[in-house]
Amino acid sequence: MFRTIFSSTFRRRAAAALALLVAVMLVLPLTLSGMPYIQNVFILAFYMTTMSLAWNLLGGMTGQNSIGHACFMGIGAYTSVLCVTQFGMNPWVSLPIAVLVTAVITGLVFSQCFILRGPYFTLVTIAFAEAVRQIILNWDFAGKAIGVGLPYVRGNNWLLFSFKDRAIYYYIAFAMMVGVYLIMKRIDNSRLGFALKTIREDEDVAAAIGIRPLKYKVIAVVISASVSAVAGFFYACYYRYIDPNIMLQSASVELVLPAIIGGSAFVEGPLVGGILMVSLSEYLRNTFGGILPGINLILYAVVLIVVIRFRPTGILGWYSHSAFRDFLEGRVLGRNMDKNGKEAQS
Amino acid sequence: MSAVLEVRGLCKSFRGLKAVSDVSLTAEEGAITGMIGPNGAGKSTTFNMICGFYPPTSGQIFYRGRDITGLRAYQFADMGIARTFQIMKPLGNLTVLDNVASGAFFGRHKAKSLSQAREIAEGILEFTGLTARRDVLAREMGTPDQKRLEVARALATKPDMLFLDEAMAGLNPTETEDAIALIRRINEGGVTIFLIEHIMRAVVSLCGKVVVLHHGEKIAEGTPEQVMNDPYVMEVYLGKGAPNVKG
Amino acid sequence: MDTFLQACLNGLMIGGFYSLMGMGQNIIFGVMKIINFCHGEMLMVGMYLTYVFHAWLGIDPYLAVPLVALTMFLFGALFQHTLITPSLGTHSFTNLLFLTVGMGVLLTNVAQVIFSSDYRTITTGYSSTILSFGPVTVALPKVVSFGVLIVISIALFFFLKYTPVGKKIRAVSQNPIGAQVVGIDSKKIYMITYGLGAALAGVSGALLTLFYVINPTAGSNFGFRALIVVVVGGLGSIPGAFFAGIFLGLLETLVSLFIGPSLRTLVVFATFIVILVIRQNILLRRA
Repeated sequence: MFRTIFSSTFRRRAAAALALLVAVMLVLPLTLSGMPYIQNVFILAFYMTTMSLAWNLLGGMTGQNSIGHACFMGIGAYTSVLCVTQFGMNPWVSLPIAVLVTAVITGLVFSQCFILRGPYFTLVTIAFAEAVRQIILNWDFAGKAIGVGLPYVRGNNWLLFSFKDRAIYYYIAFAMMVGVYLIMKRIDNSRLGFALKTIREDEDVAAAIGIRPLKYKVIAVVISASVSAVAGFFYACYYRYIDPNIMLQSASVELVLPAIIGGSAFVEGPLVGGILMVSLSEYLRNTFGGILPGINLILYAVVLIVVIRFRPTGILGWYSHSAFRDFLEGRVLGRNMDKNGKEAQS
Repeated sequence: MSAVLEVRGLCKSFRGLKAVSDVSLTAEEGAITGMIGPNGAGKSTTFNMICGFYPPTSGQIFYRGRDITGLRAYQFADMGIARTFQIMKPLGNLTVLDNVASGAFFGRHKAKSLSQAREIAEGILEFTGLTARRDVLAREMGTPDQKRLEVARALATKPDMLFLDEAMAGLNPTETEDAIALIRRINEGGVTIFLIEHIMRAVVSLCGKVVVLHHGEKIAEGTPEQVMNDPYVMEVYLGKGAPNVKG
Repeated sequence: MDTFLQACLNGLMIGGFYSLMGMGQNIIFGVMKIINFCHGEMLMVGMYLTYVFHAWLGIDPYLAVPLVALTMFLFGALFQHTLITPSLGTHSFTNLLFLTVGMGVLLTNVAQVIFSSDYRTITTGYSSTILSFGPVTVALPKVVSFGVLIVISIALFFFLKYTPVGKKIRAVSQNPIGAQVVGIDSKKIYMITYGLGAALAGVSGALLTLFYVINPTAGSNFGFRALIVVVVGGLGSIPGAFFAGIFLGLLETLVSLFIGPSLRTLVVFATFIVILVIRQNILLRRA
């Protein structure tokens, strides 16, 4: 961790502000009931942020840059949809199966692949994701290129995980994102988190203090993939239809960007980057998408390049060292400051 | 005193090139043992083999009578063996406190929670004189502090035996004195120490026994005085015909 | 037998492009130790540049090759100097990786905005001429393109081996600190290297235009294959990249022929993962 992002006074006030924000987020869908499009943007933002949080466990915390996370999500989504359509299972039953299948596959494959370091590991994640996509494209059982869909369900049905009312998806997605964030936050401050961060910084040091790098890297990828599978389950249930394109490399790339933009060294990075970028990008897609398709991704790329070039530690990395922080936390939120803008010694 | 570490006939070749051949040595419980030799003598290779970072081509390593040859590096911390690195490897994006806390989470303390790990780390920072720097990012510190941090992180694993790989390289005379004092204090706390060092003053003042390596072979062993007066060692260090240096 | 020969010939032709792409990626990876994730996109830009030169200025695609090479060299050098070089060393591998990824996303979508995602082709008077060599046939542009890329490959080999700049590139690639010690301006070499890599990708794109559809995602197939070529052919080896590219092209077409075209990509990628893992195991054992 860099300097603690928030000072302690600020943290107390921030907790209040956060509670308020959560309350607003919870009430929001009620006021948006006539605007399904905006609800959709939020749902998408929560989903993307969840994926980015999952990526960040492996990428940001462990330092293993995957460009194949869309595939983990895809394995989860496909497993649950196939369980429902081919074996007639209830979606709720398919969820743990999807997580298990994803965990086992990634655990087996990556326990072999983690001897590859740095760029070579990234290459394997890309090749793995493409190989899985190709398997699905050639597999009748999984619907080949056409994809597979969940059966139509009338009205709101909790048992079948299908809702006419978007607000319910909104709450579920929000809960999923917050839940995953809390898990990641907990990991960050735990023994596991320290093992992962030590591995990120230096594998030799990790070994010298008794951390077995391979073991912890496999744990990281399995957790990360399992969370992705949950997000994949949600994605499948929300869109009711999936095809192999959900595993394209571009999808894997897109879900990493919020973490990098927000600050991949921080657990909060994907949260900040995700909410900010997905809303902005969806707004642009909606407004200019008709005339200029791809404008939202141009914005994404430009922001990414600018952030990497000028604020290499992301928005939060910049914030934690900025005068803006001192201004915001001092003037606006009333932290005790001396005239140099430094926090007064208590 | 009994030998806590015993190395027998250790050899290492890299693609047929012999880096270390037939090195045997012992380190006694509670003592400070030094290993010296000119550059390229095979000190670091020997050191890395003993700590499990390279598998030896042949030979055996015993720790407290147990054959530990071929064990992997991450298995050493649990046995109470810790090491530092010649080229400092700070966990750059972590604070100094968290660098040490990560040691306390693993090794033999096995802290259960972050607060416990940080508490242990605070104690070690105090002991190694890094308390003032606890919230600094490790990569933002200079060489002397990073060298100290290497030692602190190793200590956080609660070792019985500590391997120091050139813990004083790059330090000025005052800093060297501080480092010598620190190593002596660690040793007085009951930790057996094995060190590689170039700075002879430190070796002479710290080590009870010195092993000299040259071209991958052990050429002398004994007290610092004995070793310094060994004609072959002098020849290696100072060239042929060097005057006799009295210890 | 005839289909087999035909498949080999096709594999050879496409493999040549993998080689050329791989060589560009190889020198970039060798010198800066970063994967250039927009290599395929730079090929795509090369295709559109050729298209623009042809459709708007009426320049023949083969005559456009030097223009494309120059434009891409400048683009690459600029990208390297203003964005990649400042991020080298200061920050992590992750940032460098996603810097090139971001550039790839940018190039693809800018192309999409300018040209839309319609498939475009270039037709010239000779583009549908077919040559026959005994039982096998091949389109004239493919033969010409293959010839040009062989010439470029050989030129690149000699450039790196004998010219002062080429020697500097190799020096930085083998030992960056040593190179700096003997007074090589590494930033300048980085610029030249990346520019050269970009130019090779652009030229590959230009040479493809007469028999390959042009669209914003046309490069992605080639981008990843260039990386396979680097890994299989060996870092820093131009002949290695050349033969790895040809091998990959042949492997793909032969897998299509004997196992089925739809499994082609799967076999290639699975083989690649296995090669990577086995290779690393061998390397580790040797240490």
